[in-house]
Amino acid sequence: MDEARRDRLTDWLRAASGDASLTIGRMALLSGGAIQQNWAVDVSGGHEWVLRTDNAATLAVSHGRAQEFALLRAAFAAGVTVPESLFLCEDRDIIGAPFFVMRRVAGTAAGFRVVKSDTLGGGRVACARSLGRELARIHSITPPRDDLAFLGAAPNDPCRAFIAEQRAALDRQRLPRPVLEWGLRHLERTAPPAIPAALVHNDFRTGNIMLDETGVTAVLDWEFSCWSDPHADLGWLCAKCWRFGNDAQEAGGIGPRAALYEGYGTPDDARVRWWELAAHIRWASIAVDQAERHISGLERSLELALTGHMVPGLEWEILRMVEARDGR
Amino acid sequence: MDGEDPQAADLLATARDVLLNDLLPALPSDKAFAARMIANAMAIAARAAEATPGPDADLRALAADIRAGRCDPGSARHAETAALLDAITRARCAVSAPRALG
Repeated sequence: MDEARRDRLTDWLRAASGDASLTIGRMALLSGGAIQQNWAVDVSGGHEWVLRTDNAATLAVSHGRAQEFALLRAAFAAGVTVPESLFLCEDRDIIGAPFFVMRRVAGTAAGFRVVKSDTLGGGRVACARSLGRELARIHSITPPRDDLAFLGAAPNDPCRAFIAEQRAALDRQRLPRPVLEWGLRHLERTAPPAIPAALVHNDFRTGNIMLDETGVTAVLDWEFSCWSDPHADLGWLCAKCWRFGNDAQEAGGIGPRAALYEGYGTPDDARVRWWELAAHIRWASIAVDQAERHISGLERSLELALTGHMVPGLEWEILRMVEARDGR
Repeated sequence: MDGEDPQAADLLATARDVLLNDLLPALPSDKAFAARMIANAMAIAARAAEATPGPDADLRALAADIRAGRCDPGSARHAETAALLDAITRARCAVSAPRALG
């Protein structure tokens, strides 16, 4: 960030915080994805903050940060372990894009490291239980909510709404995907009845949950949240494709499924399993779209290119899951 | 006449060994992920160079038939469709993700 931006940011933070003598010490880019950037910002008074903003190139997602800020506030108020959000700036003239500032939280999120550890999050059983409690708090947020109006109307039948969305996504893709159709048709044939929607994080998985040795320190990445069947979050977390190779620990490669369920309350196991198949289909479709960003030239990237090669393995898993569920 | 030996799969496998055994240990740790991604890409490309193609099928028609329920359990086409999808996916996994096949 150049000096002019930094000066404008300092002035803006002074006004927002009410601290006229605030100064910025260290500023370092923590992670820069295709869409977001996270900056560690140390300010006077010993405050450690994170500034989250959009990459200048992707300004089409104009309200992204404002929405995420609202979700973090709602989650914080519901007792979910999230970083406390402090200030939102929708003015693009300060640093070039909208941003918000939240308190910095310590911990480890990286999936492969988390699933290898027997002690992170307070140990496997305790951690899975905590994850269940976090999800229950998220799902205590129910529609309608004026502060979350941008999420749109809640679906009357979240499972069927999911199938319709996924088919629409497949129809937008360049190539047909018969295996994903096979999985979606199975989901349609076996869809559980309609259920009242709640706030679903929609990317609650190992890799997006920050842990330290005592427990969960932050639930991150709220940009996909929506109104849906709360079991969708449990299914996404438990899906084999998100266990980072540690398949025996069914709650995200971290801990036992039973501990997750116990922490959560009383989830409907059959619904969770339905959403685990749904999770494989959704992740495969996202992987296709990510590879397509590379193939189309929009964003040439080896990582995106390799993501495309994860699709056949996900398809194989989908075939095996459907086969087992159909009892062939 | 075929191209000069060694062929693509051999070249990729040999180059990949150099990357993993000679270069990777000498790289700073923040470049290890990129090196592993390159090794992974080379392995996929090497398998692709020697792959036998999967079964021929009109995937667009197949996708539409599945969505319309014309291949559901209990239908005449169910077993045949399940077997075809398995064969197609097995061939794709053999290139992209052989470990997925177990």
